[in-house]
Amino acid sequence: MYFQLALRNLKRNGIRSSLAIIGIIIGVMAVASIGIFSANLKMSVLSNFQNVTDEVLIYPAYTTHFRHGLVVSSGIMYISKRTADRIVRLPYVKNYAFVKSSFTTARYRDEVFGTTVYGMKEKAVNRMFKPSSGVIRLSDSCVVGYDLADRLNLRVGSRIEIKGHNLRVSAILKETGARFDVNPNNAIIVSLRDYDRIFNTKGNGYNFIIVWVNSLKDVGLFKEAVDKTINEKEKKVDVFELKIIIDQINKSFNFISSFLMAIAGISLLVAGVSILNIMLMSTLERTKEIGVMMAIGAYRSTILKLFLLEALILGIIGSVIGAFMSIIGGYAVDMLILHSAKYLFSITTFEYMLEGIFFGLLTTILSGFYPAWKASRLEPLEALRYE
Amino acid sequence: MKKVVELIDVKKVYRIGNEEVYAVNGITMSVEKGEFLCIMGASGSGKTTLLSLIGCLDKPTSGKVIIDGIDTSELSDKGLTDVRRNKLGFVFQQYHLIPTLTAFENVELAMLIKGVPKKERERKVMELLEIMGIANAADRKPSELSGGMQQRVAIARALANDPEILLCDEPTGNLDTKSGEIVMNLIKEQNERGVTVVLVTHDPDIAKYAERVVRIRDGRIIAEGLEAIY
Repeated sequence: MYFQLALRNLKRNGIRSSLAIIGIIIGVMAVASIGIFSANLKMSVLSNFQNVTDEVLIYPAYTTHFRHGLVVSSGIMYISKRTADRIVRLPYVKNYAFVKSSFTTARYRDEVFGTTVYGMKEKAVNRMFKPSSGVIRLSDSCVVGYDLADRLNLRVGSRIEIKGHNLRVSAILKETGARFDVNPNNAIIVSLRDYDRIFNTKGNGYNFIIVWVNSLKDVGLFKEAVDKTINEKEKKVDVFELKIIIDQINKSFNFISSFLMAIAGISLLVAGVSILNIMLMSTLERTKEIGVMMAIGAYRSTILKLFLLEALILGIIGSVIGAFMSIIGGYAVDMLILHSAKYLFSITTFEYMLEGIFFGLLTTILSGFYPAWKASRLEPLEALRYE
Repeated sequence: MKKVVELIDVKKVYRIGNEEVYAVNGITMSVEKGEFLCIMGASGSGKTTLLSLIGCLDKPTSGKVIIDGIDTSELSDKGLTDVRRNKLGFVFQQYHLIPTLTAFENVELAMLIKGVPKKERERKVMELLEIMGIANAADRKPSELSGGMQQRVAIARALANDPEILLCDEPTGNLDTKSGEIVMNLIKEQNERGVTVVLVTHDPDIAKYAERVVRIRDGRIIAEGLEAIY
């Protein structure tokens, strides 16, 4: 019956209660919609990075070589074959790819163009990329990236000349998103054997190694293993976890998202003030009733609960409607900025809806508390005599 | 006879600006169980303040108010509420019903506050509304009831928790003679069933329902007994 009483008190000033609810709806909708949009934006950005979190890149460390106390060479060298073999035999390694790369000029028909050339094993290329046409084969042939093929009008069977070596295009790769390891879109991939022939690098070692570990938690363990074995005497390689980049992107987006939501939260604050206002008016108007309830034996805590319940009802109605309407809001912002709503129906949307409800309820409870407390502190006799 | 209300040198002082006004100025009196006491006096005599002190709605500046053996001057806020809820029933001149609740619910509210189970509440509310002769108006809101009916709902509410003492503040003050008579007969009936009644009025005709009358002026008792009516 307390619930009914609270509900009827709210109905007594239907328009006022409705306005307060609308305030909460707008506030919750703003907060949740912005949250949903930020999450979708993040998902859309991260999808470009594909699933690289279990990937580790190993580069040669910056080394300085001395002879008789004098520097004879310094700079980024290669990862020697011996070191490379030791690295890929370490525990936690699920898969790996040795990569050699350099930037050079190549020729197709009469056109000379600059391009990155990667030397890799056929198996590794097959594992990492999918062809949009042709079959990935690297013996005396090469594969080219989507953008390069598009620009030069390359087809399967076209022949490219790199430093006097003629290679047949066996496949054109599908377009990929931004990557940190091998970016094939504007590149040519050849076998390691051909690479060494073209660049005369036989015996030089690798420019970098890509290692896939068994699971995400193995990334740290693998890094430790490298430091303990390979880098024990001198630092031979640097280990670069792609997870860190994703973590950084996540962190930045979470920051942006919190910031945007805080701005949207101002509307919730305004809604809170409106609840504070109507509840205070209600307390004033119902002073006599409060006095009657106290006279017939209601504790102060009962009065407090009744008024809080009223605020809570406004909050629940407003927050739930607002949360559902935030799907519409999120859709609108997604379409406006991302031109796609494909990430809308995900678990994060649901999470932000819940978050919106939480903040909506928190606002109403906080703003409902003071009027409720004020009502509960009235003196029964004075309340009864109030005109 | 057992005393259900005992006042010992009770004073209530209000401060208006720099001036101290004694609304109740050293009243000592008692009410026995089952008695019908009428407190009479002109407006401003302090009779309503006295009723508020007996009703634990206010605390005396000095002196003791003992309700059914409990010294209320030592009670906390919650303790006073417990006395009101368990021992007292109030009937006000303005009825003071909750406008959003029906007659039934207004009576039920008193029991709800006390935590009486739903079934028991429903049974008791209907019983009381029948005694008050307004069972057919159970679903109506106060605004749909006449003054006399509203006051009968208020009496039913006051009786809901089986109070020891019924405190009535000018219960017929807003009613026409006929409705006033009905209300007074109902109160008298309750008194005959054993409920102690303390009633405040300035109307001699109403005072005639009482067994004992106390007349107050300037916060003091100036006459006692039936002759105090006039």
